[in-house]
Amino acid sequence: MSWYDKLFEAESFTLENGKQVSQKFTRVPLIIFLLLVGIVVSVWVTGFSVVTLFTNFVGFWKILASMFPPKLPYFMQVWRPLLMTIQMSFFGSFFGALVALPFAILAASNITNNRLINLVVRFILTVVRTIPTLVSALIATYIFGLGTFAGTVAIFLFSFSFVGKQLFEYMETVDMGAFEALTATGANTSRAFVTTILPQVLPTYLSTALFAFEGNVRYAAILGYVGAGGIGMILNEKIGWREFQSVGMILLSIFIAVVIIETVSQQLRKYLS
Amino acid sequence: MSQKLEAVLSKEPRRGLQYGVTIIILLILLASSAPVLSGAHITSKGFEIGWNILSGIFTPDTSLLFGLGDSGVAYLILQTIAIAFLGTLVGAIIAVPLSFISATNIVPKPVVIVTRVIIMAIRTVPSLVYGLMFIRVTGPGPFAGVMTLAIVSIGMISKLFIETIEDLDSGILESLDAFGSTLFQKIRYGILPQLGSDFISILVYRFDMNLREATILGLVGAGGIGAPMIFALNAYHWHQVGAILIGLFILVFVVEILSDKLRQKILHG
Amino acid sequence: MIKFEHVSKTYPNGVKGLQDINLEIQDGEFIGIIGMSGAGKSTFIRTINRLNDITEGQLVVDGIEISSLKGKALRRYRRKVGMIFQSYNLVPRISVIKNVMSSLVPDMSFGRVLFGAFSKEDKIKALESLDRVSMLDKAFIRTDQLSGGQQQRVSLARTLAQNPKVLLADEPVAALDPVTAHEVMDDFKRINEELGQTVLINIHHVDLALEYSKRIIGIRSGKIVYDGPVAGITQDVLDLIYSKDEAE
Repeated sequence: MSWYDKLFEAESFTLENGKQVSQKFTRVPLIIFLLLVGIVVSVWVTGFSVVTLFTNFVGFWKILASMFPPKLPYFMQVWRPLLMTIQMSFFGSFFGALVALPFAILAASNITNNRLINLVVRFILTVVRTIPTLVSALIATYIFGLGTFAGTVAIFLFSFSFVGKQLFEYMETVDMGAFEALTATGANTSRAFVTTILPQVLPTYLSTALFAFEGNVRYAAILGYVGAGGIGMILNEKIGWREFQSVGMILLSIFIAVVIIETVSQQLRKYLS
Repeated sequence: MSQKLEAVLSKEPRRGLQYGVTIIILLILLASSAPVLSGAHITSKGFEIGWNILSGIFTPDTSLLFGLGDSGVAYLILQTIAIAFLGTLVGAIIAVPLSFISATNIVPKPVVIVTRVIIMAIRTVPSLVYGLMFIRVTGPGPFAGVMTLAIVSIGMISKLFIETIEDLDSGILESLDAFGSTLFQKIRYGILPQLGSDFISILVYRFDMNLREATILGLVGAGGIGAPMIFALNAYHWHQVGAILIGLFILVFVVEILSDKLRQKILHG
Repeated sequence: MIKFEHVSKTYPNGVKGLQDINLEIQDGEFIGIIGMSGAGKSTFIRTINRLNDITEGQLVVDGIEISSLKGKALRRYRRKVGMIFQSYNLVPRISVIKNVMSSLVPDMSFGRVLFGAFSKEDKIKALESLDRVSMLDKAFIRTDQLSGGQQQRVSLARTLAQNPKVLLADEPVAALDPVTAHEVMDDFKRINEELGQTVLINIHHVDLALEYSKRIIGIRSGKIVYDGPVAGITQDVLDLIYSKDEAE
């Protein structure tokens, strides 16, 4: 930022007793300028138009209104895929979190004292995290065929990278005193880890895994869109056929399921902390 | 004395039992979720496709990757960023008033319950459904993507905004009171500066997330880098898939690092 | 001059904060108020700039009966009576000078308030009050980078910038370590001597009160049990102030 301070002179103040202080030129104009440029470019690239929005917004309400009242009897066809979606999330989250643990141990520099291993494992976690879940689901359907398994794989990959990153970052903040004391007495590293580090990270680990599960239930609902199984399949189908009252029922079911799961999971997480 | 010790001992939580029950519950849930594994049939074709994608990443279509035209990766990235940026901004504009009427220290409890249910409901509808609905409003393209992200963002932005509002330090307002400020002055110099940096940091965080969301909007025709990738995948153009995946990776990775740095700066100076 | 006449304060839940307070405070005094926590020290100080309302009696400051002040008149009165809190009450994520200037806001025009456009005179005023508490070099850094003692000085500077006649301080050093506490108390003392402002400080710590004040007011269960010079404080007096209530 030195070019900026050179361009705009600092303001100086003289106090009554002769002391002088100077204040760098404010950054506010620069920030506002950058924001405006960002907005202008984005509006231009995306074709955003407030006028269109207001004149056509009624279309949005129309679709929304056509979902009411939700077609309640349709629930008989909804509950099975919904359950499937929850099962996918559970399975994927569980194994994702499980596999994340050894990776987190390898990525945490205070436990695995090898810079190369740390970096390689972190790179793997980052790459996996970068790929959007829907994209990995799509690719999984190509490899494993259409169905819930592809969705489970996608959720597994997300949970693995998410829990892995959170966990290794948390491990690095853990108190190492007991671990060092134990290794100093001659205990081997893995034994020392289980008795000193694991109890410290366990609540955070479980809580992160639960958090991932919560998010996954919500997210799994759209995986059907790429053929990766679950409730998204029928959602996609009903939208395509414009059966909006059925769509309303599907959304209502997801809403209720998500509320129940989040409430239970939040209680569990509160208990863990 | 020994009785006292025994009493203390018996108060020690029975961890073993707890763990046992937890593990049994987990196993039952896992077993009952096993049906999701059905339908897995890794064919030799599947292997081949997996291999093709992998080799595509290492031999990307360079004219696509470095192309500067409308279909080049650079432009797709710019479009994706633009969608995420505007989406976050519009979402924030909607979320701010919603958050103030959902904070327990500002409005009475019944109102909070109603507004929170609304926020929860908004959050439940999957982004792709919003995408399909907005296409009816704006027509297909990135504009629909902006609106989709705006609505999808509301849930998380308001949730975090509400937490910030409820954490307001009322001592600062008392101080302003003590030196004779009006209500307007208290809002301007007591509340806004307290919320400002937290709000911005939340928006930066959400922008980072929206960017990931924006990459998949292409599936429903709402713009961004996702659409060309689907086309390339469906057409088995592995080198193009590779080029787009590389672009995607760089985009998400760089933005994540930058947004982390920016948030550090905002929150800790 | 501040004059308490039969002042009492009963909280809505029936708790008696203050009972029949009668005293006079002359301009330029340095008064330490001591007593156990919950004895009514805070209530006493806070009634003076009307953060707490009194329920009985009269509280007259410079000839004005302040319990009847409302709205604009109250705000104008508060400009003359600065208040410092135990918890600093600074906005952590803005610069030190901005925090100091926030006490100048009530005297600014609406437009300037809205856009936060402080005039050069305002900035100099803020810098000068920062200089008074030797915090001039920290003017442009973020407030959350400062230590507790430094933040309390900024809070003091903020109050000084509004140029009050009376400084009220509610346990200003309770959260600070002994060395820093002395530094902040030194600032109060210097300001009292150089600018002649009346200073009223609640201090939990008797030693500090005796070291810096010229006059001590001892409060117990909302009543004044001692009011006089530091020299008059004996062990018996302290025992009286800090003894448990017979009722308890």
